[in-house]
Amino acid sequence: MTDVTNFENKSMLSGAAQLFRAREHSVEVEARPLTDALPAPTIFNPPAPKRYYLYLMAPAIAVLAFISLYPFFWLIVMSLQSVDIGSSEWVGFRNYARLLKDPNFLSGWGLLLKYSAMCLFMQLAIGLMLAVIVNNHRYEKYLVTALLMPMMMAPAVAGLLWLFLYNGTFGWYHWILQSLGILDSASILASQSTSMYAIVLVDVWQWTPLITLIALAGLKKVPRDQLEANMVDGASPIRNFFAITLPNLYPVLLIAILLRFMDNFRFIDHILVLTGGGPGNSTKILPVYLFEVAFKFFKLGRGAAIALTLLIVTIVLGMILVRVFDKPQSERK
Amino acid sequence: MFYKPKQAIHTPISRRKFLELGGAGATMLGAGSLAVGLNSTIMSTRVQAASSEEAKWRQYAGSKLVFLSENTPPSFAIRENIQSFYEKTGIEVEILTDDLPVVQQKAGIDLRSGKSDYTLNYVQDKPIGAPFADFYVDLSTMFGDDTLPQDPEGYGDGAWFENFLSACGRFYAEDKIIALPYDAAVACTFYRQDLFEAHTKDFEAEYGYRLEFNEETTWKQVLDIAKFFKAMKEGGADVPYGYAQHQGSFAWTTQLDIQRMMFSHGQWIDFPIDDKLGSKRPGPTNWGDEQSVLMLEKFKELGDASHPDNLANGTLELNTVYQSGNIAMQVQYHEFAASVENPETSVASGGRTAYAPCPKGDADWNLTGGPLVNGTNCGIGGIGINANASEDMQRAAYLFAIWSTSNQIQYDVLAGLGGTPTRKSVLEREDVKAAQQRPTNMPNALTFDAVYNHGIKDPHFVLGPKIPEANEYHSILASETQQMLSGQKSPAETAAAMKEQFDFLNDV
Repeated sequence: MTDVTNFENKSMLSGAAQLFRAREHSVEVEARPLTDALPAPTIFNPPAPKRYYLYLMAPAIAVLAFISLYPFFWLIVMSLQSVDIGSSEWVGFRNYARLLKDPNFLSGWGLLLKYSAMCLFMQLAIGLMLAVIVNNHRYEKYLVTALLMPMMMAPAVAGLLWLFLYNGTFGWYHWILQSLGILDSASILASQSTSMYAIVLVDVWQWTPLITLIALAGLKKVPRDQLEANMVDGASPIRNFFAITLPNLYPVLLIAILLRFMDNFRFIDHILVLTGGGPGNSTKILPVYLFEVAFKFFKLGRGAAIALTLLIVTIVLGMILVRVFDKPQSERK
Repeated sequence: MFYKPKQAIHTPISRRKFLELGGAGATMLGAGSLAVGLNSTIMSTRVQAASSEEAKWRQYAGSKLVFLSENTPPSFAIRENIQSFYEKTGIEVEILTDDLPVVQQKAGIDLRSGKSDYTLNYVQDKPIGAPFADFYVDLSTMFGDDTLPQDPEGYGDGAWFENFLSACGRFYAEDKIIALPYDAAVACTFYRQDLFEAHTKDFEAEYGYRLEFNEETTWKQVLDIAKFFKAMKEGGADVPYGYAQHQGSFAWTTQLDIQRMMFSHGQWIDFPIDDKLGSKRPGPTNWGDEQSVLMLEKFKELGDASHPDNLANGTLELNTVYQSGNIAMQVQYHEFAASVENPETSVASGGRTAYAPCPKGDADWNLTGGPLVNGTNCGIGGIGINANASEDMQRAAYLFAIWSTSNQIQYDVLAGLGGTPTRKSVLEREDVKAAQQRPTNMPNALTFDAVYNHGIKDPHFVLGPKIPEANEYHSILASETQQMLSGQKSPAETAAAMKEQFDFLNDV
């Protein structure tokens, strides 16, 4: 490991300052000081027994269990029952067996993955680009404020707004897309081949600013010395971005991706407003179908089974994402 | 007990005084409670209520009812006029309105969970009535009760337009009435008379008959008209498309859209059950038979000849397309005439639009051997009472139900906001009769001849399927039909897919 504590005037620096300096001048982000800053104190009260901490945490654990664990286990129980509101009958794994034969369930998964992938890719690409443009811009504050506006809108309202913009009779965007020759006479929501893009566009419009905001925060933390050193070595700004900036952004991008990934599995307001899952199931991603089964058909048992599969897959995919992004930079390559 | 400085000037309240004050306070509190109680349901008895007509109406004064309704004209009009109900009964009514799918969800959760947050519900026949029929009060037990006021016109089938009481009131049992007809949307044909007249010569030259619309016009002719206008439009002529379907995101109206055409040909229905009563066990579906495949083929042809935005147009959007002059004809619900006739929002107003019954079945398209009729369907919104409510609240709710469906209120809604009456007697009023001709101040009345004198009568009227799984049924049908219209599935594949799913749905 590089010796990062070799400063000229050591006596001037306290232990905490040494740590700070070491990090600021480090070539490796993971750099650590070579020795412990301070010896461990000797005269303190003996540590409290572990059960003491358990008592302290007990109220929080109870609240968490009540609002989170109890519904979770109840969801599992419901998924094994044929549940009507107010009555239920134990059916074992029949709800799950039925899902395997349900074409909407299977196609819902495919559409959900397609929808999430498109949304994430576009939001990341555009969000990062906007963050780089806005970063240190003369009007950064104003631009950030303007960019955040779509995010402040309720998703259902955003859906309504775009419903009007897409409308085949009076929609402004419909007129533009038609004038550009992108659409034929049918509106974007009237065709199975374009309706998915229509809902992706709304999600991208509304939530790209979140990626921009997170990436912007990350950009402020990219070590300036690394950038400068790389440029002194003759790297172009683009190479600088991919070699220095982007690797430093991985931790914050991981948070952004995780947030948006989970949101795509949860937020369906705009889809319900724009297409209701149609035309012909082309936008009926799994959460939309889940909503239909549970709250339109009132099949709560079947809905619980869908919800549980959705939850398990979300957790597993989330863990995979964390593992991929959490690897050290060297392993990622 | 408390610290008191020695020099303090202090006059203690004597024990007697304290008891006097306490007694007076308690007496006042009791008197106040009694006054409130006397004005509420607690003190009323049915014997007292039966003593006079006014007492019958006021027996639940002080109560509060919540009515959950779809956002349709009657509820808006009644909400504006709710003070008159309060003055008559002393009952406060809160009317909550929302889109039908939201009403359906809220009502469903309230009813099935044993609650009565909404004492009164808007019972739209199939989306709400069919799945939740068991959770409403049987109103027939209140008809003729001498401790409750009764409408002088009664509540039998004869008091309402044909089939209306069955549509929203009878589910799975003949003798139980769960709702009174409150609001109606019945399908009929809206067409651009001016355009038909302008192009009749060209049309006749091509198809051999005049371009006109009446009760004998068939679905096959509708297809001709749609093709004719589409060809002209694509040839560069300044004309709208000929026709458009209700194939947008609202599954129920999508189902109604295809049902009209199916029923017109030999009265084909989805399940072999009594259409007006419905069934909890409908058995195997008729989808997949020869007639259904042929009808899907024709429906697809009609879709191909329709306005290109067909799959994005729900009922409301379709009407906007018509109002904006982008189609020459639509089969639409008669309550939309008010918006079509409004010159501020519609280019089809001012006598350009004429109204006729729904198209008739065509002999060439009928393989069943059954009669050819003008298949007409509807959404009849009833007003029903939540059976989870207490008996007193149910009786209080009954007062509002009969008041809101009375002749006078229905007339007020028609004249005020363009509602659609459900009581026959409203049409007997002289001004309503006169309003059925132009010029009119009740534009919906222009449709009354096509709807009330023709469409809703047997053998044209079609209602079902009233089954507990109605909403899932609508969803499957809409999804499959849309896929067929998109070209993703053939009509035969669509019919087979529907049969498989419907039979699975009904445990066949």
